[in-house]
Amino acid sequence: MQIDLIQGTLDMLVLKALARGSMHGYGIARWLESTTDDVLRVEEGSLYPALHRLARRELVETEWGYSENNRRAKYYALTAEGRKHLRQERATWARFVEAVAKVMAV
Amino acid sequence: MKRRDEYARLRRLLGRDALRDEVRDEFEYHLSARVEEYMGSGMTRAEALEEALKRMGDLERYRRETQAIDAQVAGAHRRREYFDGVRRESRQAIRSLVRNPVFALVAVITLALGLGSTGSIWALLDGVVLRPLPYPSPERLVWVSSYVSGGGSAGPWGLSSAGYFYYRANQRTLEDIAVYSPFPVNVSGDAEAERVDAVQVSGGLLPILGARPAVGRLFTEADDAPGAAGAVILSHAFWVRRYGSDRGIVGRTIELNTTPVEVVGVLAEGVQLPIGSADIWLTLHLNPAGPFQNAHYLNGIARLKAGETVETARRDLERLTSQFTQVYPEVYREAFMREYGFRVELHTLESEVLAGTAKTLWILLAAVGLVLVIAFVNVANLFFVRAEVRRRESSVRAALGAERRHLVWHWMVEALLITGMAAVAGILLAVGSIALIRRYSPGGIPRLDAVHPGGSLIAGVVVLAVIAGVVLGLLPQLKSGGGPAAVLREGGRGTSVSRKRQRVRQAMVATQIALAVTLLAAAGLLVRSFEHLRNVDPGFDPAGVLTMSLALPGVRYPDAASVAGYWEELTTRVESIPGVEKAGLVSSLPTEGGPCALVFVEDHPLPPGELAPCLTYYIASPGYFEAMGIAIDGRTPDWPDERSKTGAIVVSRGFADLYWKGETAQGRGIKPNNPGEPWYRIVGVTGQVRTTGLDAPAGVAVYYPITAIPGASLWGVRRGMSMVVKVQSGPVLALLPAIRRVVADLDSDVPLANITTMESILAGSIARRTFAMMLLAIAAAMALLLSAVGIYGVVSYVVGQRRGEIGIRMALGARAASVSRMVIVQSLRIALAGVAIGLILAVIVTRTLSSLLFEVSPSDPATLLTVSLVLIGITTIASWAPARRAAAVDPLEVMRTE
Repeated sequence: MQIDLIQGTLDMLVLKALARGSMHGYGIARWLESTTDDVLRVEEGSLYPALHRLARRELVETEWGYSENNRRAKYYALTAEGRKHLRQERATWARFVEAVAKVMAV
Repeated sequence: MKRRDEYARLRRLLGRDALRDEVRDEFEYHLSARVEEYMGSGMTRAEALEEALKRMGDLERYRRETQAIDAQVAGAHRRREYFDGVRRESRQAIRSLVRNPVFALVAVITLALGLGSTGSIWALLDGVVLRPLPYPSPERLVWVSSYVSGGGSAGPWGLSSAGYFYYRANQRTLEDIAVYSPFPVNVSGDAEAERVDAVQVSGGLLPILGARPAVGRLFTEADDAPGAAGAVILSHAFWVRRYGSDRGIVGRTIELNTTPVEVVGVLAEGVQLPIGSADIWLTLHLNPAGPFQNAHYLNGIARLKAGETVETARRDLERLTSQFTQVYPEVYREAFMREYGFRVELHTLESEVLAGTAKTLWILLAAVGLVLVIAFVNVANLFFVRAEVRRRESSVRAALGAERRHLVWHWMVEALLITGMAAVAGILLAVGSIALIRRYSPGGIPRLDAVHPGGSLIAGVVVLAVIAGVVLGLLPQLKSGGGPAAVLREGGRGTSVSRKRQRVRQAMVATQIALAVTLLAAAGLLVRSFEHLRNVDPGFDPAGVLTMSLALPGVRYPDAASVAGYWEELTTRVESIPGVEKAGLVSSLPTEGGPCALVFVEDHPLPPGELAPCLTYYIASPGYFEAMGIAIDGRTPDWPDERSKTGAIVVSRGFADLYWKGETAQGRGIKPNNPGEPWYRIVGVTGQVRTTGLDAPAGVAVYYPITAIPGASLWGVRRGMSMVVKVQSGPVLALLPAIRRVVADLDSDVPLANITTMESILAGSIARRTFAMMLLAIAAAMALLLSAVGIYGVVSYVVGQRRGEIGIRMALGARAASVSRMVIVQSLRIALAGVAIGLILAVIVTRTLSSLLFEVSPSDPATLLTVSLVLIGITTIASWAPARRAAAVDPLEVMRTE
C-alpha cells in the first residue's frame, strides 16, 4: 500500500536526501524509494520543480557532472543555508508529529 | 498502438530539436536511468519506458513548471546585471561630465537659452491665448457690434440703444444680449477724491458673464430701469484697495462725480470686463421707449443658447437688422443703411479679446522654436565631436567586455544630465523673462495678468528637454559604426575620419545658418517697419509734452460758463508756472481717435434724401494746438473767442481738402447735429495729424470749442478733458509737482489722472509691434550668436582633422596665406548654401508677418541682402581663428606625429 505525501513535506525530504551528499534527481528518487520501502507515493517529476525552487532560494546549489555510468547529470548539494533550513524543518516536523500523536492517542 | 503513441510523445517531448535546455537534459537523464534500471530487472524497453513515465507523473506539467522557475531566476539575474551596468555607466557618465566642466557648461548654457526662450513664449501663449476666457462656458459668449463699410468710414461701430432693445426683444438664438459703455468717474465722499475706471452696463451683462457677487447682490432689472435711483457694484480689487474689504460697504452711499449712489454689491474676485477693466459698475438706464439716436457707442455681448452657433445667431440678428428701417424710420433711414453699408457683426468674444495677439504670439513661438533648434544643433555638434574623441575609449571598453547596451546608457545618462540641467536653468530663465515682460507690460497684449509661469511652462520645457536628451543620447550611437575592432585598427590617426561624417556636420551648420537667416530677416523687417513708424510725421510734436486727464464735479460746475471759466483759469495758471510754454485741453489725445458727429457744410447743401456725413470731432481749448505743436494755417481760437462765443473753429487739412480743395477754407461755415442751428466759422486749418494712430493715414477732423455758440447744441457741458502741457526744456515730469499744486490750489476736489507723456502714448500706440520686434530681435541675436559658435566649432574641428593634409600641402610648398584662404573659402561655401536656403525660407515665412509690417514688403530686398551679408560676415569672422591655426601648422611636426 502507498500513501500520498503530506502537503509541503517534499522540500524537507529532498533536503534530507541531500544531507548525505550531492545527488542528482534520479538519485534522490531512488533514495526515497529505498529508504521508505516504496511506501511514499511521490510523482518523480515533482522533484524537479521542488529542486529548482530550492535552488532559487539558494538552499541548494547545482553543478553539472557525470553519473556512475558516465552520463551528463545535474547534481544538487546543500548550501550552508540549506543545512540550517533542514535543521529547522526537522525540529518543526518533530513537534508536529508529537502533537499529532498526542491527539491520536486520546 | 498505445505504446507507439507513447514513444511518439516522448520523442516530441524530448526531441533534440524541440527542447534544447537543461531542464530537458535533467528529465532525459532521469527517464533513461529509470528505463535502464527496469530493463535490468527484465522488462522490455517499451514496458520500462511506460513504467518510468508512470512514476514520473505529468511530465509535461512538471517540465513547464521547472522551466518557468528557471526563467524567473534567469530574468532576475539579467535585470540585476543590467541595472548594475546602468548604475556603473551612470556613475561613469557623471564622472566624465565633472572631468569636462567646460563641455558641460557650454552645452547646458546653450540649451538653456533655447529652452528658456521657448518656455517663456510658450507660457505667454498658454496664459493669453490657449486658456479659455475666465467666464463659464466662454465658447458661447459672442461680441455683437455694427459694421459699416461706407460713408467715409469703414470698420466696426458699437450698437445703438435702439438696436440693442430690438435685438433683445426679438432674437431667438441668444440666451440674452447686453451692452456696456466704459467711462471714468470721480469717486469721493468717503475718502480722498479719486479717478477710477467705471462701466455702465445693461441689466443682463453680469449674468451673461456668469458673474457672482462676493458680498451683496448683482443688478436687478429694476436698478437698470430708466429713471431708477441707480446702484453701484464694486470690483473685488477696488473693494479691497479702497475699502479694506469692509463688508459693511454694501448699503452705504458713495459719491460718483459728486452724486450719491448706493453700493449694492461687490463682485467675486477675478470678475472683470473682457476688454479693459472697471472698478465701478453702474447701470445704463437706457429707455426702451426712446427717444433713439443714430449713435453707436454701446459694446454688445451675448450668450448663445445651447446648440446655436455664431452663424445661426448672425442670421437671426441680420434678419432683425433688416427690419430697422421699418421699426425705427426716424433713426435708420433707407439712405443711411445703403450709403453706410450698415450691418450687424458677430464673432466670438475670444477673438475680439485676442484680436491679433494670438498670431503675434504664435509667430514669436515659432521664432524661439528656431532658436531652440539652432541651440540643439550646436549641442549635437559638441556631442559628435566628443563621441569621436572618445571612440577609442569606448571601443577599448567594449573590447574589454562592456556591453553595448551599457555604453548606450552611458551616452544617454550624459545627454539627459545635460538636458536636465539645461531644463532647470531654462525654467529659471523663463520665469525671469516672464516677470520682466509682465513688469514692463508691453501693452497691446491682453490678459498678461493671466500669465503665470507654472505647470504648463515646466511641462513644456521638461518634454522638450527629454526629447532633446534622448536624441542627443542616441546620436553618438548612430555614428559609432564599424565595431570596436575597426576603430582600434584605425589607431590614433585622425586622417581616417570619413568625409561623410564631415559632410553631415557641414550640413548641420548650413541648416543653422538657414534658420538664422530666416529669423534675422523676420526681425529685420520688423525693425525696418518700426523705423518707418518712428519716421512717420505724426503732425504734432510729442517732445516735452505732458498729458493728464481731469474731470470736474457736476455739482460745483453746473453750467457751461462755470466749466469754461475753470478751464481758462487752469490753463492760465499752469502757463504761469516757470518752464511751462503752453497749456491747452482736448477731449481725446492724438492716436486715440475720437467719436464722430454729423456735419453740415454751408456752401455744400445736401441733396434731398441724403444724410450728412459723420466725421471725427474733438473739443479743443485755446492753446491746445500750440501746446501739441500742431501746425496751423490761419489762426487758432483764443480765450476771448471762448468767452464771447464767436464759434471760431479749426478743421483738419483733410477736411478742408474734402470740401474746398485748392481754395481757402477760412471763413467757411459748418455746424454739427441739427440743420437749423447757427454756423461755426473756420479760422484755421491743421496740418496732417495722425489722429487715429501712426499707422493710419491722417484723417478728417473738426475741432469744436468748449462752449457752444448761442442756439447750438454741442454735447452738453464738457467736464472731462485731457490737459496738454508743453514744457520749455528739461525733464517733462519735473514740472508735475508744480502742476499738481496749481490744480489743488484751484479746486482740491478735482482729481488728476492718467498722467503721462505724449511720447509714451505714442509708444503705446505701436506697443504690440514694438513688443514683437524686440522679442524677434532678441531671438535673432541669439540665433546669430549660436550660429557663429556653431560655425567656429565645426571649422575648428575640420581644421583639426585635416592637420595632416594641411601639413603635407605646406611641405609641398603651399603658403600660409593660401591655406587660411582655403579654410575660409570652404566655410563660406557652407555659409552660402545656408544663406540660399534661408532666403527661400524667409520669403515664405515672412508673409505671415505682413499684419505687423508697415510700409515694408515681406520680401524687402534691402533687408534680405543685409541679412545675407551679415551671415556671410559672421561666417568669415568665425572661421578666422581656425584658419589662422591652419596656417600655423608646422609641416615637420605634423609629419613626426602622424
